[in-house]
Amino acid sequence: MDWIAMATGFILILMGLYGALTNRNILRIIVSFSVANTGVNLVLVAVGYMRGRTAPILDEAVPMADAVTRIIDPLPQALVLTAIVIGLGVTALMLTYAYKLYEEKGTLDISKCRDLKW
Amino acid sequence: MVSPLYIIAVGLGAAFLLGLLPEKWQRAAYGVTLLALALMGWIAGSWLWAFALQGAAPVEIFTAGTQPPFAINFRVGLAEASLALLMALTGLHAALYMRDTLFKQGRRAMAVLLIFVMATCGVIFTRDLFNLFVFMELVVISTGGLVLLSADRRALGAGLKYLIVSQLVSILMLVGMVFAYHATGTLNIDGMAAAQVDLFKGGALAFFLMLMAVLAELKPFPANGWGLDIYESAHPAFAALFSAATGAATVYAADKLLLIGGAQWLPLASAIGIVTFVVANIFALVQDNDRRLLGYSSIAQVGLILTVIGQRDLLGEQYYFVAGGILLAHAVAKAGLFWLSGLVAARGLGDWAALRGHPVLVFAFVTFIALLVGLPPFPGFYAKWELAHALAANGQLWLLGLILFGALLEAAYLFRWFGYVLKREQPQTGLLLQAIKEDVALSAVVVAWLLAYLWGELSGQGNLLQAIPLLFALLFLPLDWLPAKLKNGLAVAGLVGWFYLHYPSYDALQLIFAAVMLPGGAIILLASFQTQQRRVGFYPAAMLMFAGLAMLIEAKTSFAFFAAWELLTVGSYFLILRGKHSEPHALSYIVFSLGGAFLMLAGFALAAQGVPDFKIAALAQVAEPFAPWVFALLAIGFMTKTAAVGVHIWLPGAHAEAETDVSPLVSGILLKAGLFGLFVLLMTMGKQQLYGVELTHVMLWIGAISALIGNLLAIFQEDAKRLLAYSSIGQMGYALFGLAMMNHLGWLMALMFVINHYIYKSMLFLSVGGVAKRTGTRDMYRMGGLITLMPLSFIATMIGIIAVSGVPPLSGFGGRWIFYNAIMTAEYRLPMVIIFLAGPIAFLYLFRLIHTIFLGQLKDELRTVKEAPFWIVLPQMIFVVALLVFALVPGMALRHVDAYLAPFFGGQSGLDWAGLTITSEFGYWSPVSIMLVIGVIFATLFAWLLFVNRRAQPVKQFNIVFAGERPFRPETTHFAWNFFAPYRKALGFLTQPLVTIFWETLTELLHSAADILRRMYTGNGQTYAIHLLAFVIIVYLLWMGGL
Repeated sequence: MDWIAMATGFILILMGLYGALTNRNILRIIVSFSVANTGVNLVLVAVGYMRGRTAPILDEAVPMADAVTRIIDPLPQALVLTAIVIGLGVTALMLTYAYKLYEEKGTLDISKCRDLKW
Repeated sequence: MVSPLYIIAVGLGAAFLLGLLPEKWQRAAYGVTLLALALMGWIAGSWLWAFALQGAAPVEIFTAGTQPPFAINFRVGLAEASLALLMALTGLHAALYMRDTLFKQGRRAMAVLLIFVMATCGVIFTRDLFNLFVFMELVVISTGGLVLLSADRRALGAGLKYLIVSQLVSILMLVGMVFAYHATGTLNIDGMAAAQVDLFKGGALAFFLMLMAVLAELKPFPANGWGLDIYESAHPAFAALFSAATGAATVYAADKLLLIGGAQWLPLASAIGIVTFVVANIFALVQDNDRRLLGYSSIAQVGLILTVIGQRDLLGEQYYFVAGGILLAHAVAKAGLFWLSGLVAARGLGDWAALRGHPVLVFAFVTFIALLVGLPPFPGFYAKWELAHALAANGQLWLLGLILFGALLEAAYLFRWFGYVLKREQPQTGLLLQAIKEDVALSAVVVAWLLAYLWGELSGQGNLLQAIPLLFALLFLPLDWLPAKLKNGLAVAGLVGWFYLHYPSYDALQLIFAAVMLPGGAIILLASFQTQQRRVGFYPAAMLMFAGLAMLIEAKTSFAFFAAWELLTVGSYFLILRGKHSEPHALSYIVFSLGGAFLMLAGFALAAQGVPDFKIAALAQVAEPFAPWVFALLAIGFMTKTAAVGVHIWLPGAHAEAETDVSPLVSGILLKAGLFGLFVLLMTMGKQQLYGVELTHVMLWIGAISALIGNLLAIFQEDAKRLLAYSSIGQMGYALFGLAMMNHLGWLMALMFVINHYIYKSMLFLSVGGVAKRTGTRDMYRMGGLITLMPLSFIATMIGIIAVSGVPPLSGFGGRWIFYNAIMTAEYRLPMVIIFLAGPIAFLYLFRLIHTIFLGQLKDELRTVKEAPFWIVLPQMIFVVALLVFALVPGMALRHVDAYLAPFFGGQSGLDWAGLTITSEFGYWSPVSIMLVIGVIFATLFAWLLFVNRRAQPVKQFNIVFAGERPFRPETTHFAWNFFAPYRKALGFLTQPLVTIFWETLTELLHSAADILRRMYTGNGQTYAIHLLAFVIIVYLLWMGGL
């Protein structure tokens, strides 16, 4: 199971990168990065997964005493949550940029956005 | 004391508070912003105080009520506190600077600024990897917001490119981090360092990804196009933050991260850093947009710091001193320059000439440039010194060479820019002055000087800002509003006073040089009484040069020597730059001089081999295999100052284009600094062999060829001051030759040249300068017949050329006499032949000075010319007297030197100084009798001439007829232009500007390469992303492949 998640994650990352580097349209680039970010999150969770263990929620099902042996490492999941929030922020910011650029230039083609160079 | 955690809390809290304020309360919001930033600064400052002065131990701050690795922890020590202070202060200044923009954009923009500063502080404090990632992302997001504050619409594109790259960075970081966590079971940086991540399977790769992510934020070559675009288009106050704050915080993050990897990753940091440093500086050469240039320079500086981080183990205790010095110098200078750029209306480098009307702003600009280049007394100078020594002591010579090369390039384009500021056409409305912006920029100047003092205190080498000569020179800055005459009086008094107080402690050699440089300088400065008004900028520059000279003579350690050398170089550069058309020449002077100085730095560093406080005298104990290299490096360094052939091309322009009273200063006095250095070098190190070649023999050849080429070029000049300048190359060639002979008389002759050349070259430059001032031209063929109109200048020139040419009865002959004695005992025949050839050539050009300027036909437009001004003539007359005295009793000065030199050559004196006659093994020289004999011959011939011509009748100027044609214009009867045409035909091949072509081609190559290669920054965000990926992959292949 976990290796499938891991492999899917990496495939998503590579797909995202490929998309981000080959699409000219800024919106498509942003979507590609979202795909790649999802892949990263998947990898994160997959790394934290331990075979045969349960979710790291302490309740009647998993008493405090044997939590260490029964739950998976909660840390990567916490990381993923934070990473998702940050990813959301960055994506929002990029979308704002895309909107502003479209207002400014009337196009979403990134190769048209080359006023600054050398 | 308040916990440093409040720095974060205040920033975050104030940002949230801003969100709660009503939209209309702009002032309140701005007040909250400033207050929060000031509070953050105060907390950081109080901790810095505690760490630095009260010796407090670093504090650990735990969150969530538990210890790491189960919760995030911060650590704040000296480095963190100083960096946090830097963040808060640059943030505060940015808020002040951007007041109008922030008011326009409202409280949200202010909140973003607060978040930015808070996040950079977080990057510095945190010891947790994931927390580091969070703060870095916060920096990214707030950067994305602040970039939009720019009035430049192109910033939109730049911000987007940055976000694209930062997405890649965060992917690398997260993937690397989670695997590193998997390998070590902790996210704590120190915990991970203890676990030695490299030992685990895949750990090295995980660490590699994280390192790449952090390094990518440092804008390494080639993955840095996005950074450049931001620098170019962002609001200057944000560009300042981006350069100073982001740069410093990320560098610190890289430093922490490298703790995890351990020592084997350090070379990688150095390699990436040095490549970035050199390449960014090369690319910057061809920039003409000011902010993009500053961007390249920022990237280069951060690269340099990364290089230093990679040498952490090698620097040991000095690490924070070196890295901190370079980092703070970079941050303050770059912030200051970006702030200044906001005051300049247009973006071309030449548009900065608008600053010229405001001496305070020019001073600020100079301060920042000196800070960046690492000139004394600024922190970068001390840091560079320690770094060079550590590298040389550990055999990292390639790295040292590359660092110095990059630094030279950086100095070149920065000083070229400074030349534009002072020399380019001043635009009418080039400045957008605003009091608050000006104050912000000037506050950086204050910080720069405070840092200079601080680093001097910390250096353990003696604080340059406590050196009295330097302080005296700096005193002229606040006094610059006084009239020039008053300042000149103070300067003269200072030079004479310093000499009077110190001469008892000098040995004979120091005394000769000090006498030439200090009271000698005072005599030349008499000519400066001529100038009216205030002469802004002259005295700080001149006194800086004299301060350097005074300190050079007294220098006991290599550090003091080198610091003095750089001071005098910079001072003389400012002096030379004052000439009307001297912009390119001053640039070539400073580039050659700094190049020479860097070679000296390398030489001293190699010689010291890690010994702190290396004494100059200890050069004598430098052993193989370093000794010949040290000798060569130092000798080339000194020879750039004496303009030996090969590195001479700066001299003619620099000396000729300088102002009337500056030419004698830089020719008569400054060149002697190089000779002093050579003396010191030869006295301590003596003969050295490199691959079996006797190095002094090479110097002998260089001296001989310099003498020949210098003299030969001088005869073909039409410009009188250029002629004198080329003649200096020849004269210094003689002196070099004398020194390189490595015998007693050779050295004596070189010393004789020190005195002689000072007197006659100063005198000739002054008289020619006076003539040029009156006639309005320096072209000799436009003059003629001035003998009756300017008799005193004529006398000075006449005496001067007699002295230079070395014919009896003046002191030049004494020099020749010693010289002939010296070469009788020397072994080398061929260079001797060359130097003999050079002698008669000197006659040719000297003759022109008299013939073309003072004899011949008076030109129509010059009929009303008056004698040169009194103050220019006065020093010439003093020099005439001095020449006569020195000609009559040379023993007065030379016998002491002779005795002083004796121990270096087996204790025997070369000459016998009994009475007024000087005797050598080949003959004797009696100056008084010679003077009498010549006087009698002259008087007799003159009387005979008068007798023969007693019936001659005076004729008018055109009372002559040539071939049936009666000339009516003076030009037709005075053959003056291209005077030595036949010689040019015969010897012209020797005067091909091969050396100039060589250096020009080299510069051209660098510039073209930069211009072609920088096109890789296409401006396309996707290309930049590919650059980053390519960077990661290439580094992976090169590094991990080899690991």
